[in-house]
Amino acid sequence: MRAALAAIALCMAWGAATPAWAHKPSDAHLRLAVDGDAITGRLDVAVRDLDAALELDADGNGEITWRELSDAAPRIADYVTRRLTLGADRMPCALQLGAPALTELSDGAYWAMPVAATCTHAPRSVDPTGGFVPRPAGGAVGVPTPHLASLDPTGGFAPHLASLEVGYALLFDLDSLHRGLLHVAGQTTILRDPQPVQVALDQATSVASFVREGIWHIWMGIDHILFLTCLILPAVFQRRTQRWIAADSLRDVCKEVFEIVTAFTLAHSITLVISAVGLVALPSRWIETAIALSVVAAALNNLLRTIDARWAVAFALGLLHGFGFSSVLIDLGLPSHELIGALLGFNLGVELGQAAIVVALLPALYWIRRTVAYQALLWAGSAGVALVATLWSYQRWVA
Amino acid sequence: MGNPVRRELTRRDIRRGRRKLAVLALGAVGLAVALTAAAFFAPDRAAAAAPTYVPADPTQIVATVPPRDPSEVAARQALAASPDRVDLAVDLARTDIERYRRLSDPRYLGRAQATLGRWWKLAEPPPDVLLLRATIEQAIHQFPEARADLDRLIRRRPDDAQAQLTRAVVATITADYAAARDSCRATAAQAGPLVVATCEAPLDAIAGRADEAYTRLARLVGAARSGDAGVRGWALTELAELACMRGDTDAAAGHLAGALALDPDDAYARNLLADILLATGHAGDASRLLAGREQIDSHLVRRAIAEHDLHGPDAARLVAAMRDRIAAAAERGDRIHLREEARFALAVDLDAARAVRIARDNWSVQKELADARLLAEAAVAAGDRDAAQPVIAWARATGVRDATLDRALRRLGGIAGPAGEVVR
Repeated sequence: MRAALAAIALCMAWGAATPAWAHKPSDAHLRLAVDGDAITGRLDVAVRDLDAALELDADGNGEITWRELSDAAPRIADYVTRRLTLGADRMPCALQLGAPALTELSDGAYWAMPVAATCTHAPRSVDPTGGFVPRPAGGAVGVPTPHLASLDPTGGFAPHLASLEVGYALLFDLDSLHRGLLHVAGQTTILRDPQPVQVALDQATSVASFVREGIWHIWMGIDHILFLTCLILPAVFQRRTQRWIAADSLRDVCKEVFEIVTAFTLAHSITLVISAVGLVALPSRWIETAIALSVVAAALNNLLRTIDARWAVAFALGLLHGFGFSSVLIDLGLPSHELIGALLGFNLGVELGQAAIVVALLPALYWIRRTVAYQALLWAGSAGVALVATLWSYQRWVA
Repeated sequence: MGNPVRRELTRRDIRRGRRKLAVLALGAVGLAVALTAAAFFAPDRAAAAAPTYVPADPTQIVATVPPRDPSEVAARQALAASPDRVDLAVDLARTDIERYRRLSDPRYLGRAQATLGRWWKLAEPPPDVLLLRATIEQAIHQFPEARADLDRLIRRRPDDAQAQLTRAVVATITADYAAARDSCRATAAQAGPLVVATCEAPLDAIAGRADEAYTRLARLVGAARSGDAGVRGWALTELAELACMRGDTDAAAGHLAGALALDPDDAYARNLLADILLATGHAGDASRLLAGREQIDSHLVRRAIAEHDLHGPDAARLVAAMRDRIAAAAERGDRIHLREEARFALAVDLDAARAVRIARDNWSVQKELADARLLAEAAVAAGDRDAAQPVIAWARATGVRDATLDRALRRLGGIAGPAGEVVR
């Protein structure tokens, strides 16, 4: 059978060298960055789509050359300026298109036009509808000159824009499945029709949502909590020469816990970052199993007292937990624009979440450190955790 | 103070302190390096702007499009001049849908829909528009909408064989087998026995009668050696599906080779053959079968899986390309690649839990045998019997017998017995 199948497969394989441009529905990308009240960015539209709208293929032979395309540049600029409007804080903005170039996306060449806009600060009462006036395109992109008033510290308006209005009406009349993807302030807005949309530029909201996700994740992720708890449990007992005695100063205990938490934080931050940006990708089954095993290790260390330097354990095994956090973050959908903000936000959330746990746990442990209850918690708790985590490891591996 | 033990202790403490400091410093440096790396690597991710260039050679071809067809241009101009002419719009839309079929390029679906824009939102558009609207809705997985339009059309034109066949397909996908069978039989007068048998084959197969359906269809295909190539290709593909269900992958591969000889661009047949090659451990052949056809997502995902399994030189590039396509589809809010996404999660990411989630979402939209296999296999990998419950219930209700599905269900602990009952 093998030979027969191979023969079939071979005689049907052809053209392995043809460029594999993806067949996908039509998208255009509008990326905007807002700095103070200057808006700059780029609009990428597929050459194929522009051809459908403007017949760029002058000789109609099915091949669009760079000459045909660049000859049509004024027509393209005209098409775009008639169909794209920008406004900021309900003020109209004058759009300027820069010198275009090409860029390659998965489905072929795109016409990439730098976009800049200056927004006139008209009194709001003049234009209560919030509509904006499209302006003809300028020749080349200049750095938009800040409005004089914005340099005036006593200016009667906020120097930073709070929202953008984008009216995008390219291509919808030719391709109903066309989408404009507006990337601004770390968010992507899908434009499905020519109806103008408003985008809030409050970046804090998106970072804040990642902080919340981080806190939530550490609280819901029982394995992370157990790992940290196992490391912290013995902190109220300290080794003096060869014996273990209850710590006599809260300050020492806090210092040790601080070291453990810091080491854990550093370690998981490193792996969170390198895996969230895609530098390292490990199968989730391995990671999840390894995280469960790290809990076993931390619990066993409490029973066997092999390693005193629990901060080192926290660091070494914390590396594993970072990979676990990153898979959550990737599932949430990382905004590539604000990757760093999202990463820092999520990480900050994780730290806040674990700090809350530590703050709740530590005084209680310190309080009971000389009692039988503490010994029971240390021994039985660690044994129980080791057992449960061993079970998890098994389940996660065979799953 | 001068106690040597005490001094020793202090020195050890200092040493330990230094080591601790060194590791923490190392960690801080590592974090800084990682953040810097993130700053540099971030632009490579989907939403960041790709680098631009200006071609030095003005004759460089930057894009290819279908060569301009003068009659199509004339028709577009005529339609622009008199936008109410539904006949022109229908012809133009049909041309684009045909391009979509040939190239699997969804841009042409969007263009067809835009051409019909004037009639698209009407409750009762002209019958020809209804058929094209249903065809487009089916292609973008809006099955309930497609079904409603087809029902509407058939009330007005019960003898429309194309409408009946499309309705049979949509009804099969949404597991309304009685309606599907009605539609298959309604085509008998116009379309002939091979079409009816091909249409009914998946229904018989799902009802657990793959053997007799296979024998009947094989006989009819053999008798229709010179018929319409499109119908014969379709019949051979269904025949291959039946052979697969009976576990005869060799015969299935032969039928698919026949279908591909009739139409090398038949993406469905090619995918099916690739699946058989992958399932029988011939990843290399599967990869060669799909080489150069990665434009189509369903081909790309299979080739990526094949190369990934082989640890081939193209594996990393193909896997990255598939990830990009999934990200691009998600970015524009599309959810029509769930099958591909689930397979990818299962075979490449080894993320069974995610595969189960996606396969369940997919099952809520479409319920073909392939979707059932996918959810069952994902559930096996995840060890999550509950996740497969909808498929177990479906298999029980239909009495379907399929080599792949049966194997997966058996591994889940509940096997469908010959009479369709589940035994533990």
